[in-house]
Amino acid sequence: MTEATPHGGFWSQSWLVVLLSLAFGAALAAVEITLAPRIRENKRNATVSQIPELVPGAVREASRERVVGGATVLAAFDASGQQVGWVVPAAGQGFADRIELLIGLDATASTITGIYVLDQKETPGLGDFITVRERFRKYFEGQPTGAPLKVVKREVTAGSGEIRALTGATISSEAVTGIVNQRVHELASALAAAAAGSES
Amino acid sequence: MTMVAHPPDRVGPSAIVHVAPGPHLQDAAFTTRRMMADVLVGLAPVMAAAVAVFGWFAVMQVGICGLACLAAEYLFHTVMRRKPATLGDLSAVVTGAILGLSLPWSAPWYVGVIGSFAAIGFGKVVFGGLGMNLFNPAMVGRAFVMISFSVALGAGAFVLPDAPSVLSQATPLTVGKMTGEVTPLWPLFVGNVNGSLGETSAIACLLGGLWILVRRAGTWDAPLAIVGTVAVLSAGAQLAGIHPSLTVGHHLLGGSLLFGALFIATDPVTSPLTRSGRAVFGILIGLFVMVIRLFSGYPEGVMFAVLLANAMVPLINRWTVPTPLGGPVPGPVQKGGGA
Amino acid sequence: MTSQGPTAAERFLNGIIPENPTLRQLLGMCPTLAVTNGVKPALTMAGATAFVLICANVITSLMRKAIKPHLRILVFTLTIATFVTIADRFLQAFMPEMSKVLGPYVPLIIVNCIIICRCEVCAAKQSVGIAAADAVGVSLGFTLGLGAISVIREILGSGTLLGLRVLPQAWPNWGIQVLPPGAFLTLGLILGFVNWYSGRRAARA
Repeated sequence: MTEATPHGGFWSQSWLVVLLSLAFGAALAAVEITLAPRIRENKRNATVSQIPELVPGAVREASRERVVGGATVLAAFDASGQQVGWVVPAAGQGFADRIELLIGLDATASTITGIYVLDQKETPGLGDFITVRERFRKYFEGQPTGAPLKVVKREVTAGSGEIRALTGATISSEAVTGIVNQRVHELASALAAAAAGSES
Repeated sequence: MTMVAHPPDRVGPSAIVHVAPGPHLQDAAFTTRRMMADVLVGLAPVMAAAVAVFGWFAVMQVGICGLACLAAEYLFHTVMRRKPATLGDLSAVVTGAILGLSLPWSAPWYVGVIGSFAAIGFGKVVFGGLGMNLFNPAMVGRAFVMISFSVALGAGAFVLPDAPSVLSQATPLTVGKMTGEVTPLWPLFVGNVNGSLGETSAIACLLGGLWILVRRAGTWDAPLAIVGTVAVLSAGAQLAGIHPSLTVGHHLLGGSLLFGALFIATDPVTSPLTRSGRAVFGILIGLFVMVIRLFSGYPEGVMFAVLLANAMVPLINRWTVPTPLGGPVPGPVQKGGGA
Repeated sequence: MTSQGPTAAERFLNGIIPENPTLRQLLGMCPTLAVTNGVKPALTMAGATAFVLICANVITSLMRKAIKPHLRILVFTLTIATFVTIADRFLQAFMPEMSKVLGPYVPLIIVNCIIICRCEVCAAKQSVGIAAADAVGVSLGFTLGLGAISVIREILGSGTLLGLRVLPQAWPNWGIQVLPPGAFLTLGLILGFVNWYSGRRAARA
């Protein structure tokens, strides 16, 4: 390095930046290698811990990831190894922001066995009733998947294909129902296609 | 806007010329107290309609808000800021009455109290007291409790199932927006519908508003601009088929549009100084009201519309500096006067 | 380089109250407004920021003689970004719930002006001991600011403190305190109080 430029040569300028980049890069790689399995496990747990709630009879240890229709879903099994249902992640636009859901279905994807709101940022005190009000989740249990669910503003009977909108949370109620309808439809057609493919 | 005589100018080479927006009338009878008393008289028919429809709920709610506003004014202004007592100018009573009349009959007592303290504290005293506030104090208080206690003030709060009277019905705008039922217009006009205490009767709002305009406690420009804008936009919405059960008549007579236009948008402190400015202000309010009513999750938007337009008042004042007699002033651009 | 100006102890104390980053300097407003609707997320955020601030200040101070002046911002940012990434991954691994609540605000510590301010003002010119004391003091000041706002907001907005109920069930939660407007109002009131109090003390002195 003998150049007499005003700031000296390239290396005399940048050796610290290069050295730091290498050192910090190595440190971050070490952190990533150490922690990545744990972080993946945490994310999986958030989904898996809900399985017994969403699919009756299922045990959380006995679940396997399957790819159906290009998306990863969880197949839920009971203690004897019999498949009892599916747990399907779904997401869509709510009143304020994205709503993330888990949908529980029976083994043939013909009946909804439960829903769980993973993440939402709806208006506290109104829209967040979709998570706070237990009865809203109950409306979905036992609903048939043959036709899209409808949101109505009156008392509903179980399994009638109707969801009662929560007062003050109509838009959030409709958003959740819409997300469920869309995702269940996708999964049912993907399962039907897969079944048709395996039989032929 | 207090009508205080300007301090005598110092004379001599360093004389300061006081420049203040009009009016420069110095009439001993034209005081804040008289203006506020006129507004209260104007609110009387509205109050009467509220008592006729909601009975004791109306008296309770407005009483709580009035007393709480007086208490807040005394505490914040006189005790904490050590300023001379201002309870006598009646401005706190007006704020309390407007706030109380803008609440649902069912709101619990603490809603009125907290709303009043927020109205006087955040809406007025932090800006330096009456005349310095940017936002309409009553609407600041209402927004505070609306966001805080959304369940107690949301669309569902108005409805008391099993009640024999209008209290069992959802408010007309909610009905129109959510279920598509058409409310007849005559009850909207006389006030025999559910809603916030002061908003139900169009005829009472018109009577009271007329008094305010005749007594010049408020100006007619902003109310006219609001009503005109809403009429035009709701006619457009009706033609376009957005919420077909809400006609022009519903948009004009339903909700708190007339109450807001005549009693809230006429507040001289938080509206622009010039006639053209007030017209722009009114058009903005009408626009915001219709956007919120047609496209948002809320059935009604007068409160947010007034607050949004309030925020633009300094800018409007800047745009609408009038040309003085004798032609425009040369040199650097004049700053808009801040009320 | 001779260390002039305040000693380590003075810098430590300065950061807590007289030059409190939140309440006196109004730095780091983004996390102050965004994550203070509960005490727990606020303290987690303060802890993560403290970790990054102390590490960045110490490393910067160690390197201060080697840093070329015109490349210093690059070096600061590199250092800060590294420790922010480490803090973010640790939260995701060991406090997944908190990591979810804080969301993007942990990665945003990179642009927290408190940290780059301390690197520039103090660590780039002072010895390690002074830089570390300064970082700890400012971190405590930041924790104090976030803590004060979040205590008020959590009590009024949820009736709880650190998730434990402190007000009776009948307490009507002030939804505004859970939402962004509550952050602005509470911060404004606390700033007003601090200014009023310090003005009164200055008048008496």
